[in-house]
Amino acid sequence: MTAPLVEVEGLEKRFELRRAAGLRRVRRELQAVAGVSFAIARGETLGLVGESGCGKSTTGRLLLRLLAPSSGVIRFDGREIQHLSERELRPLRRRMGIVFQDPWSALDPRMTIEEIVTEPLVVHGVGDRASRRRRAAALLERVGLARIHADRYPHEFSGGQRQRIGIARALALEPEFLVCDEPVSALDVSIRAQILNLLLDLQRELGLCCLFISHDLGVVRYVSDRVAVMYLGKIVEIAPTARLYGRPLHPYTQALLSAVPIPRPGRRPRILLEGDPPSPLAPPPGCRFHTRCPRAFAPCAHIEPELVEVAPGHRVACHLHTPARATGGAA
Amino acid sequence: MRTETPILAVRGLTTELATEIGWCRVVDDVSFVLYPGEVLGLVGESGCGKTMTALSILGLVPQPQARVTAGEVLFEGRDLLRLPERELRRVRGKEIAMIFQEPMTSLNPVFTVGDQIAETLRVHEGLSRRAARARALELLRLVGIPAPEERLDCYPHELSGGMRQRVTIAMALSCSPKVLLADEPTTALDVTIQAQILDLLERLQAELGLAVILITHDLGVVAEFARRVLVMYAGRIVEEGPVADIFAEPLHPYTQGLLASLPDPRAEIVRLEPIPGNVPVPGEIRRGCRFAPRCRFARSGCRDADPPLFRRDARAVACIRSPLAGAPGPGAEAAEATAPVMP
Repeated sequence: MTAPLVEVEGLEKRFELRRAAGLRRVRRELQAVAGVSFAIARGETLGLVGESGCGKSTTGRLLLRLLAPSSGVIRFDGREIQHLSERELRPLRRRMGIVFQDPWSALDPRMTIEEIVTEPLVVHGVGDRASRRRRAAALLERVGLARIHADRYPHEFSGGQRQRIGIARALALEPEFLVCDEPVSALDVSIRAQILNLLLDLQRELGLCCLFISHDLGVVRYVSDRVAVMYLGKIVEIAPTARLYGRPLHPYTQALLSAVPIPRPGRRPRILLEGDPPSPLAPPPGCRFHTRCPRAFAPCAHIEPELVEVAPGHRVACHLHTPARATGGAA
Repeated sequence: MRTETPILAVRGLTTELATEIGWCRVVDDVSFVLYPGEVLGLVGESGCGKTMTALSILGLVPQPQARVTAGEVLFEGRDLLRLPERELRRVRGKEIAMIFQEPMTSLNPVFTVGDQIAETLRVHEGLSRRAARARALELLRLVGIPAPEERLDCYPHELSGGMRQRVTIAMALSCSPKVLLADEPTTALDVTIQAQILDLLERLQAELGLAVILITHDLGVVAEFARRVLVMYAGRIVEEGPVADIFAEPLHPYTQGLLASLPDPRAEIVRLEPIPGNVPVPGEIRRGCRFAPRCRFARSGCRDADPPLFRRDARAVACIRSPLAGAPGPGAEAAEATAPVMP
């Protein structure tokens, strides 16, 4: 593996919630990301899956430093960026991009498509007006829109076309790292496949390093080289795509995969998890999944399992696959 | 062909929506039947008219911006479209119930869930306050809500999304309806919670012998839950048939395209084959087959007239290229004479 472009170690993010309780103000802490470590190589796509509230979007925003971490290390191209100020981050921002989920709210309705796509160039003072206009035309064509669309406004476009515009904008500065946060979740099935193919082609063509965040296991399988599964702020399993889908080891990954209805008729065994995910305001002790785990046993309620490598590139945080230890050591 | 009597028969249902360019048909001459105790999937993308079809059946289309302009909906010998509002109200909830994607659509935030279920029972079944509460408790237990005694006095916001959907299912089932219209009942839920709710619906459907119309955009949900399926596109039914047949051998190019667009988590897919173009918006629909502008098999005949549903046995497809239409399709044998079934 080449040197990673993006790397995080022990990444944590806590949000403080204030709430009035009678006359007192109560402070509570929501731990959205609870100690996450992984690396993404140049040209590689890491898929990040999990259900709502698991911390996957927060992780994406931390990597781009749109949020500041509570603790942990974020490295971009070898440089630690967790403490950098907005000013210091600015030259690095050119090298990063993000595609959002909702193509309806991500585009300013008062700007023309050309203004939207070239805004990052203006902000970073790249090129003159004419060269930016040429760049916009080239970007629009690359994402499957026409030059004539440049002077129109977002409301004139369908959801799929707006997502193409969002992608063009994200690529305007030729970033090396792209975070895609549920980029196809709001789109219809027939349009979703178009956008997925576009993202896949661009990723390969430009050698992009991607973090692809989604709740959809089928979508993640299609675009990712490796996949990480999150549950309540932790990565519970991470492996090369074929391995994770072919031989999932964590009971949560297994349940998640078996729960997805697949477009082939017929009965198949389903692992039904009981209850709802616990609140991230009060995560369970020990393994965070033990309250819903069909295979939980004695140590799970007390000892937090470490993420340990069980096969090359395949790491899992589960006592079924690691000898339980009373004290945590480095894995 | 089934010889059973359908519990619900929809014929020529047409619903229009007011748009900037005038009235547009969003449900266009839709006909189908629902048999007792069956799960019928109604699948399609946003704006295809699937929800509007359900709302039209129950006389719930938003007025004045929408109106049902033609057709009939026969339920137990009565045409629901011509029933006075007072009688229709007795059918709604009691005989035919509906659940929605967003549970808060049918829950009132200022009443406890117990009160809301009890109210339905008191209105439709004339139960006393005490009897209604006891039945509400029973219903919460039926839909698998843990500690139902405590939940009875909860407000909707105190429950999780999955629990709320269980409450709306309890409400929908409170008067023992014969038909349940479920509009994207699991779309807003996480996948592990979706599995729980689908499992619940499946169990209740079998136990109570409910006939269910399951409206969804998710072909996976249809494949696992429904026995028969209707595929809608731009206001029309384009394909109909048993789930197993449609997934094994889709006949309409739209159905084929949808299936080729799906990233399956259980299979290694090298390349998805998307349907080109965009989902049409109401008013954009032109003459001829509605799918023709996006169809890679389209030929001149496709743009001349809107194809009827060609029917053979349990299957039907609205495509002139289909073997059912008597024309040779891709890899199909010569078809026997089939007559289009049109009013």
